Amino acid sequence: MKDIIRVKCLLSTEVEALLNQQIKKEAQSSSAYLAMASWCNQNGYDFSSDYFFLQAEEERMHQMKIYKYVLDMGGSAISPEVTNIKIEYNSFKEVFEEALDQEISVTQSLKNIAANCYKEQDFVTIEFLNWFFKEQREEEYKARRALELFEVIGEEGTGRWQIDKNVGKIVYNSEA
Amino acid sequence: MQNIATAPLVDFVEVFQTVNGAVFQSDRENCWYVDFAGKMARFDYRCMMKLRKAVYHIDIEALLLSSELTPDLEIVFICACDHCYVLTLLEIIAFKELLEGTFVMLELNRILHDRVYRLSA
Ligand SMILES: [Fe+2]
Ligand SMILES: [Fe+2]
Repeated sequence: MKDIIRVKCLLSTEVEALLNQQIKKEAQSSSAYLAMASWCNQNGYDFSSDYFFLQAEEERMHQMKIYKYVLDMGGSAISPEVTNIKIEYNSFKEVFEEALDQEISVTQSLKNIAANCYKEQDFVTIEFLNWFFKEQREEEYKARRALELFEVIGEEGTGRWQIDKNVGKIVYNSEA
Repeated sequence: MQNIATAPLVDFVEVFQTVNGAVFQSDRENCWYVDFAGKMARFDYRCMMKLRKAVYHIDIEALLLSSELTPDLEIVFICACDHCYVLTLLEIIAFKELLEGTFVMLELNRILHDRVYRLSA
């Protein structure tokens, strides 16, 4: 009897479902960053707004990367529904706290997918995910550094204005 | 001229069977034939996956607990496939059992392919 399922698709049902879940997470991240860009813009934090616009585009790119991988492997990529995007924030700092939380949850979710891939020896997907792990190093670094500006510079006086000006300057250039 | 009744080309392999139904695989057509609820229906790879998803997603517990007076009928409609099932609660349970068994056997078949053909020198 032919092994039709394996002939059609490299991914197991579980990994395919997890990747589709990740597609949704990346889409949600993209929308959340867009909401942050809007909030920052409306509150006069122009540099942060630009920073979040860029992040939104990156998340969209991540989404497409996984989307195409699922299709390339013979799976069925599901265009996600994105709902419940928070659009109001209580403070400038809260925006960055949420940004970091979001990146952490993305990293955790990717780790969970990789753990499942190891369990079923899906080394092909692990290799694919490695790009994302490296990316998450940068993403978490940037989000953490941005939040740290609130401690380093302080919010008093022209503090928030300073913080805003410095957010876009954060770069991660570890060669490791 | 002779009238020879040609039997349909049968290359079905039984994948799994329960008292309520059976699933067969056709290697020639790369598809499955599902014998359930009084009909034999053909499913290709994509439709088979959708069928599984549709049936697995039915919340049997919720149907059991529902106190509505409407009959316990569920419609299993699979987008872009030719088949539609209207099933009672008991049939849904039986269908799920049949599909679960089928996918366990297909998984076993994959392991056999790995061990016997793909990984042997
Ligand atoms: Fe991402
Ligand atoms: Fe990110």
